[in-house]
Amino acid sequence: MKFSRKTLGIPYSVFLILFVVLPLVVLFFYAFTNGQGHFTFTNLTGFFTDPNALGTLLYSFAIAAVTTIVCLLLAYPTAYILAMSPLKSKSVIVMIFVMPMWINFSLRITAMKEILTFLEGNLSMYPFLNSVIGMTYDFLPFMILPIYTTISRLDGALREAAMDLGADERSTFLSVTLPLSVPGIISGVSMVFLPAMTNYVVLDMLNNSTYIMGSLIGSYFAAYNWHAGSMIALILLGLICLFTLLSGSGEEDNQRGGALL
Amino acid sequence: MKKITAFLLAGILAGTMYMPVPVFASGAASSTDSTLSKSGTDSSETADKGKDDVITLRVCNWEEYIDTGDWSEDETIDLDSGDIFGKNSLIDDFQTWYYETYGKKVRVEYSTFGTNEDLYNMLTLGDVYDLICPSEYMIMKLMSEDQLVPLSDHFYDTDDPNNYYMRGVSPYINNIFQTKEINGEVWGKYAAGYMWGITGIVYNPKYITEDEASTWTIFDNPKFRRQLTIKDNVRDSYFMAIGALKSKELTSARFLNDPNYHQNLEDVMNDTSPEMISQVQNYLQDVKDNVYSFETDAGKADMITGKVLANYQWSGDAVYTMDQADEDNYTLNFAVPKESTNIYFDGWVMLKRGIGKDMEKQKAAEAFINFLSRPDNVIRNMYYIGYTSVISGGSDPRIFEYLKWNYGAEPDEKNTVDYDVNYFFSPDGTGNYVLKVPEEQTKRQLSAQYPSSDAISRSSIMIYFNPEKNSAINQMWVNVRCFNILKMPPWGWILTIAAAAGIVWLAVLRVRKSRQGK
Repeated sequence: MKFSRKTLGIPYSVFLILFVVLPLVVLFFYAFTNGQGHFTFTNLTGFFTDPNALGTLLYSFAIAAVTTIVCLLLAYPTAYILAMSPLKSKSVIVMIFVMPMWINFSLRITAMKEILTFLEGNLSMYPFLNSVIGMTYDFLPFMILPIYTTISRLDGALREAAMDLGADERSTFLSVTLPLSVPGIISGVSMVFLPAMTNYVVLDMLNNSTYIMGSLIGSYFAAYNWHAGSMIALILLGLICLFTLLSGSGEEDNQRGGALL
Repeated sequence: MKKITAFLLAGILAGTMYMPVPVFASGAASSTDSTLSKSGTDSSETADKGKDDVITLRVCNWEEYIDTGDWSEDETIDLDSGDIFGKNSLIDDFQTWYYETYGKKVRVEYSTFGTNEDLYNMLTLGDVYDLICPSEYMIMKLMSEDQLVPLSDHFYDTDDPNNYYMRGVSPYINNIFQTKEINGEVWGKYAAGYMWGITGIVYNPKYITEDEASTWTIFDNPKFRRQLTIKDNVRDSYFMAIGALKSKELTSARFLNDPNYHQNLEDVMNDTSPEMISQVQNYLQDVKDNVYSFETDAGKADMITGKVLANYQWSGDAVYTMDQADEDNYTLNFAVPKESTNIYFDGWVMLKRGIGKDMEKQKAAEAFINFLSRPDNVIRNMYYIGYTSVISGGSDPRIFEYLKWNYGAEPDEKNTVDYDVNYFFSPDGTGNYVLKVPEEQTKRQLSAQYPSSDAISRSSIMIYFNPEKNSAINQMWVNVRCFNILKMPPWGWILTIAAAAGIVWLAVLRVRKSRQGK
């Protein structure tokens, strides 16, 4: 008996078909039908003519964008220092950054809620800020790791060459290190931006009562309107595909960073 | 090497082929064992009979909505008519009781749901249950969709001593179940009540006066900006909004003294005209900017920890919140809004898809309702979950005794008042069902668990809205919760356009790059 590629692929293909392909087919079916099961485009046109749905898309986008920027600003210097440090046991320090992720997510946000209440007095005064803080807290390691991996894999000789040729620290960083770490940034951004658009649990727990895409889908399902809900999910899927295509590449770096999680 | 691997694999294969047999056998044996030990009979006698004569009853109830037993000794409720103690879960007790009473084994498959909408979605997705416990509007929806099995004639027979439900149901509740109807059929034909309650406001009396809390308009009161929570639930919010919008009218003498007051009240509180819906939408948008949050479950904790000063609460949860606060030496009160309060019921109904024409199963399902309606079990449930049962006990005095045990004033207590609950216990609304209670209880747990007759007089049920109205109201709710793009300030548009331009620019760059690459 041989373990050929075919046989080894069976478990995952079964999983894939049952839990990814099949639900997707159902999603497509609901998205393009109405209550009577007839084919229709009204769900699609409905979304793009509804100011609330578009507003929600924009609001989610804004939260995700700000979260990503904040994450990037926090993560890049951290990853840079880590990667450049002469320490021998870097992986231990990286572990420390990943450690919060081993604690249950809702537990962490509950703790965060208490801290924010202590700092702000009344949580509900700053819903947007709180959501961004909560998401940043949640997604920061996803940004640090890929950037760290990319920078630490950079060939030190390149930097030395730049220095030898007369570039100071600043221009070495700007014209050598930074451009070379772009793949890490891209994969970090895609790992933070996309989940941040739908992670409505953070908003719920931190008392932001405005819907984002995830909660909008949920509300349609709770109201038995599976058709409009599926369509929104599908549109979101389309957007995600679009972003992934745009960011492209960086997959190798992803894997390295992902291995640590 | 290859040989060894092949040998090993063969061994594993052979092993797995034999494995299932003993596993299944022991599984079956253990499951019958557990049923037997519960029914307390000799196991050798029934082991041969097999699985067929065990009736399986699939019950789906709200989460934490039934006593699961395991009480500690000091929790014993010592009534005049005897002690009540929860040793096993009520489900186990039912299985035992059914076997002892009817000589048939029944196994209850118990599952739970979180909201009426979740339950309905579960049913739509194909989950099959025999007996479920939704709220009145969901019962009306299921009735209008012809999904329910009517209760049998025997269920209404009060001569059978085991028919605890019909013998013990509160006359007040029974009257509602026998008169409220949808499509010409009364609820009572299909549904037997379980718990009921009203909606109101739990508040912190240190910061909020009773007057301020006794109105739905509190939620847009700027004095308590960002210090109140309301329910993240369209129906509750809708009711609250109408109460607040129509506050003046509902409390005017002309409206209150109208001979048709009660009918008028229900008409106003169930107004689903497009004008009303759009008014409610505007109002809730203001409320959204004034409250701390829309909560599903966090409200109780936020109230106890003092993060908020008042929250919109169902009476059973209000009792729980006040109890918890008491344990922390922290006083919270309950107020029933002066405009109107939403009276709600959760009731047992049997599903066609589960019960079908299986008479044995229907009998077991109805026995389950009756068993839960037996006064001692009612008290166990009420003690455990804090909600109010629809059972008043009929000729059995224990429910009223439990009320006295729970809320009655000590003999030497000062500042007591008489609290009249005749509306609930007495068939004609008059009688001796009057409690002597400490005065504070008129605005605390008692007023939530057994509302005053005054609160009951301004209660209104909220009917099931037809699908068209329902989707209009749901859309209204989505509109309240969503960020409307048309309300965006100019700088928002500028930023959006800039971001969009940035993305397009990136895309163009990318395409160019890939072309160069080729």
